[in-house]
This record gives sequence, structure tokens and C-alpha cells, in this order.
Amino acid sequence: MPYHKFKCSECIPEREKHAVIKGPGEDLTSALPLGYLNTIPGSISERGCAYCGAKHVIGTPMKDVIHMSHGPVGCTYDTWQTKRYISDNDNFQLKYTYATDMKEKHIIFGAEKLLKQNIIEAFKAFPTIKRMTLYQTCASALIGDDINAIAAEVMEEMPEVDIFVCNSPGFGGPSQSGGHHKINIAWINQKVGNVEPKITSDYVINYVGEYNIQGDQEVMVDYFRRMGIQVLSTFTGNGSYDDLRSMHRAHLNVLECARSAEYICNELKVRYGTPRLDIDGFGFEALGTSLRKVGLFFGIEDRAQAIIDEETARWKPEMDWYKERLQGKKVCLWPGGSKLWHWAHAIREDMGVNVVSVYTKFGHQGDMEKGIARCEEGALAIDDPNELEALEALEMLKPDIIFTGKRPGEVAKKLRVPYLNAHAYHNGPYKGFEGWVRFARDIYNAIYSPIHQLSFVDISKDEIPDQTSFLTQKMISDVNLSEEVTASKELREYTGNYDTITPLRNKTYPDFPAEKKLSAV
Amino acid sequence: MEDMMKDRVEQLVDYIMKNCLWQFHSRAWDREKQNEGILTKTMQILCEEPVEKETPMDKVYWVDAVCLADAFKKRYSWLAALDKGEIKLLMQGLKERMDYLTITGSLNAELTDPHY
Ligand code: SF4
Repeated sequence: MPYHKFKCSECIPEREKHAVIKGPGEDLTSALPLGYLNTIPGSISERGCAYCGAKHVIGTPMKDVIHMSHGPVGCTYDTWQTKRYISDNDNFQLKYTYATDMKEKHIIFGAEKLLKQNIIEAFKAFPTIKRMTLYQTCASALIGDDINAIAAEVMEEMPEVDIFVCNSPGFGGPSQSGGHHKINIAWINQKVGNVEPKITSDYVINYVGEYNIQGDQEVMVDYFRRMGIQVLSTFTGNGSYDDLRSMHRAHLNVLECARSAEYICNELKVRYGTPRLDIDGFGFEALGTSLRKVGLFFGIEDRAQAIIDEETARWKPEMDWYKERLQGKKVCLWPGGSKLWHWAHAIREDMGVNVVSVYTKFGHQGDMEKGIARCEEGALAIDDPNELEALEALEMLKPDIIFTGKRPGEVAKKLRVPYLNAHAYHNGPYKGFEGWVRFARDIYNAIYSPIHQLSFVDISKDEIPDQTSFLTQKMISDVNLSEEVTASKELREYTGNYDTITPLRNKTYPDFPAEKKLSAV
Repeated sequence: MEDMMKDRVEQLVDYIMKNCLWQFHSRAWDREKQNEGILTKTMQILCEEPVEKETPMDKVYWVDAVCLADAFKKRYSWLAALDKGEIKLLMQGLKERMDYLTITGSLNAELTDPHY
């Protein structure tokens, strides 16, 4: 097994099995790190807790809901707004965060009364919102507050409201992924099947494992609507609570982030017979194939093809402009879970960027299988790295850029490696054909930023260049390009708008009259 | 001859690994069904045989199979020179290799977890 031993972790021998290098001739049966295990004592992990995974990754993107944590304020406050999952109702779910504010006295005397009072107060403060999710935290779980009983009591007293209880305290798993799992299963057990939806099309899908980061969901839903497909629910970005209660009526579950949401797709398959189709919303070829698959499933492949042709003609010349300039750049692809496999091959194909390392903090071995399979030889794969290992890897691999979260990203900057935010994005959305060009533009701007070039100068010993005081990205990136490329009339830089999402919200779609008799519920 | 076959199987495996996601469902029993369903239908499409796609499950396998067969034909020009018997043999080899890489030889300890 080609395990990689970090020097800084020699004192933690168990870490060895958490990193591998995919060498020549290696495949998944010989190169796969351990994953989804408890963090080894002594290794300072960058993981989140199971409460955070349930609430802030999956629960909170639901837009028309009061998301209440039963616990101390710190649990929700310190994890609030770490992701930009916007919504088309003025970002209600992002603007506010709610906690019952448990204190020491509640640990001793119980906090059920406090919980009930908070629930009622919150509904009164936001009288138009009739849905709530309640989250356990370590404190309320340890004292054994019966959240389900309180929720049932309130629902009886206020029949117009509906409450979902998520029992995923911080200690409920090795990482945030434990919380993803718990909330998936809790949602299907408690809520799916409770509402009968209005079916308006012959073609009905749930779009699952999509969190509308900077508008990703709205970009993808636009494609589906252009194909005449009804998106019954999105689990959960920009998704509506009641739509998600009717997931059982879709004909197909289109699954994007399998890491966070494959559980509910698997259960929907077993309980309701709805098939699961895994797709990639990133990358020209991958996204085109994904739309084509959805089209094929419903016998409307021509509609998918029309979108692929139109979008490719519009955006490919811009993508190729960046590809010429990013060719051969090295990246450490260190996101959370699914982007390591969504992006690994697509950035190489469309942008010419080589992935020299993948890591995941909370991914399972299945994510590493997908990620490593999509990488080229020589890639270093690390499970649940600690900060010192990440630093050692950066020193060893010398990447041109790193795609990761805010915390490791800021650390990378100190080693003069520019970073892009893989979780919340810089100038997203990154999904869709145009979004993929926006991603390439952000990569280009990061690598060739004149300010970043300055960071390589050590003012304590280097001479400060005074001849090149004016620089632009293009002056740096085009130095070694042929005239054929720099003078090309075909290729062009990104020409899209700053805000690509607002226009989608007011768009009208072609009318595809339904052929089958539809439900009139 | 055997080397050539092996090399061709590896080319097809490489395409699947880099571009597809269907082979990596989370449990062994799902991977078995996915590999069987999709690769059998891909073989039938390549051999121009009729393909079952009436039930939702058959249809979702067929969708992946259509895209896979198209990609194989587009990328691997040597495929056009094979007769049906050779394609069946090749696809049998591919199925065995995929089963090994994703199920029987897999190091993924979660594959046998009885729950989702
Ligand atoms: S680990 Fe427990 S106490 Fe800490 S944030 Fe998570 S739920 Fe709150």
C-alpha cells in the first residue's frame, strides 16, 4: 500500500494510513486511505461537529423555515453564515439564527420549558413563517431534554405550524458527515409523504444534494425548467419545507452531492421505488452529459441537446481563453467532500489544471475512491489532515493555487499560495456553463494577481523591482503565449454580468403542455 | 491477443473512472446492481440488441448505458472493427474488472454496512 508518512506526524503513527500517493500502476484496490473514523487524539483536525453538519450544511438552506438550535448560543452563532446558500425569498434563512440560549442552570434543572417558550416566541416574531426545524446540541442531548415531545405539544396548540426535529448533537459522529446522515434519515422518517404536491408536468424530479451556493441551484433549475421539467423539491438549497415533504411523488431523484445526500436517495429508492441518477453540475462535458441523461430518462433528449448546444456556443470560447492561460498549473484540491470528485477531472479537461493532491476532512472512503479515480498518477490523497500535514504537503507539492475552505485558505496564503473558497466560492455561482467560466476567471485572477506576485518579494533581503511598477494579470499571463493565442478572434475573456441570478428569478419559460392526466391536488 | 484485450479493457475502465459516478454507490449490493445493469445494457447497445427500459430502474440504467456506449464509440475507434462476439467478450472483461475494482477488491470498509 503506497501510504504516505508525514514527517510532522511521525509521533502519531496511526495517521500513516490516512494518506496515500497514487503511484504508477496503482489502482483503488491498492491506493485508498482510511476515512470517516474518529479523529486520532493528538491530531488537530479541522472538522466540524455533527450538529453543524446537520444544521448548517443541510437543514439551514431550507428557505421558509425558522431554524432553531436547542443549546447555548455559541453552537449556532459560531457556525452561522459560513456558507453562502442564498434563496429567492430575500435570504430569510441566512439573515437570522435562533438559539434557546441554554445556560448552566438549565443543565441542572432542564430546558424543556425554555425550549417551548422560545419556539412560541419565534413564531410570534415571524408571523408569516409557519415551519420550524429544531436541532439538538451536545448540551441539550446530554441532559436528555425531550425535544420531540415539546414539538408535538406546540403543534397541538398551534395547528397551523409544523416542526421538524433533528436529533444530531455535536458528538453524534466523527465529523459533520455524521450530521448529514442523521438529518437525511430523520427527514425521510418524519416528513416525506406528509404532503401531496400539485403535479404540473409529465416530467418530475427532486434535485438532491444541492445547496444553492451563490445561486448554483437556480442555475441548474433554470436548465430543468427550459426542458419542461418540474423540480418538485430541492434538497435543500433554496428548497421549501413543504415541497420537501412531497419528495415521494417525483419520478426521478437527480443527485448532485452524494456525500451529503445519497442516504435520502437510497431510502427513496427502497421505500418509493424512485430511481437515483448521479450527476455532475460542473464542467462542460460532464454537465452536458448530465443534462442529456435527465433528458433521455424522460424521452426529451432533444430539449437537453438544444440547451447544451446554445450554452456551449456562448461560453466555450471564454473557457478556452482561460484554458490557454491556466494550462499546466498545479492545484491542491482540498474542499469538503463532493467537490474533490466533481472537480478533479473537469478542471483538467476544461482548464488544463493538474490536481496534485486531494483531501477531505469529512469524506468517506467512497469519496476518496471517486476522487482518486479521477486524479492522475502522483496525486497525494489525505483524509482528515491536520494543519501541520497540510503545510508539509504544500511545501512538498508547491501548487500554484489551492481550492479549500476559509481556515486552511488563510493558512495557505502565508506560504504564498493563493486560495479560492471551495465551499462558499469567491465570485460564483460556479455551476452551469457560465458558472464554470466564472470559476476559471477566479482561478486566473488568483494565480496572476499582481498583488500576489508581490508577495514573493522578501523586503528584508530582496531587491524591490522598480521597473515593473505597473502590472496587470494579462501582462503576466500572456508573456509566454503564442501570438496565435493572444491575437485570437475566437477566444475572449468572461463577458457575463456581475449578477447572473436575479434575472433568472423573473424569467418566463416555454410552455410544454402535459400529455398525461395530472393530479389536481 | 490477451494483452491487447487487457489493454482495451483498461482504456474503457479509465474512461468510466474519470467520467462516471454510477459505479460508486455506497453499498456492495448497489454496486453489483449498477455494474450489472449498466454494463449489460451498454453491451446490448453496442451489439445493437434490444434493451429493456420499461421500468424506472431499467430506464435509469439505460440512460447511463446510452451515454457510455456513445462515449466508447467516440473515443475508441478500434471498437468499430470488432464483431458482436468480440464486443461481448470485451464487455465481459470490463464487467469483471469493474466488479473487482469497485466491489470484490475494494478497500472501502463501508460497502458491507447493512444500513444506508
Ligand atoms: S460540538 Fe456540541 S457544543 Fe460544540 S458546536 Fe457542536 S453541538 Fe455545540
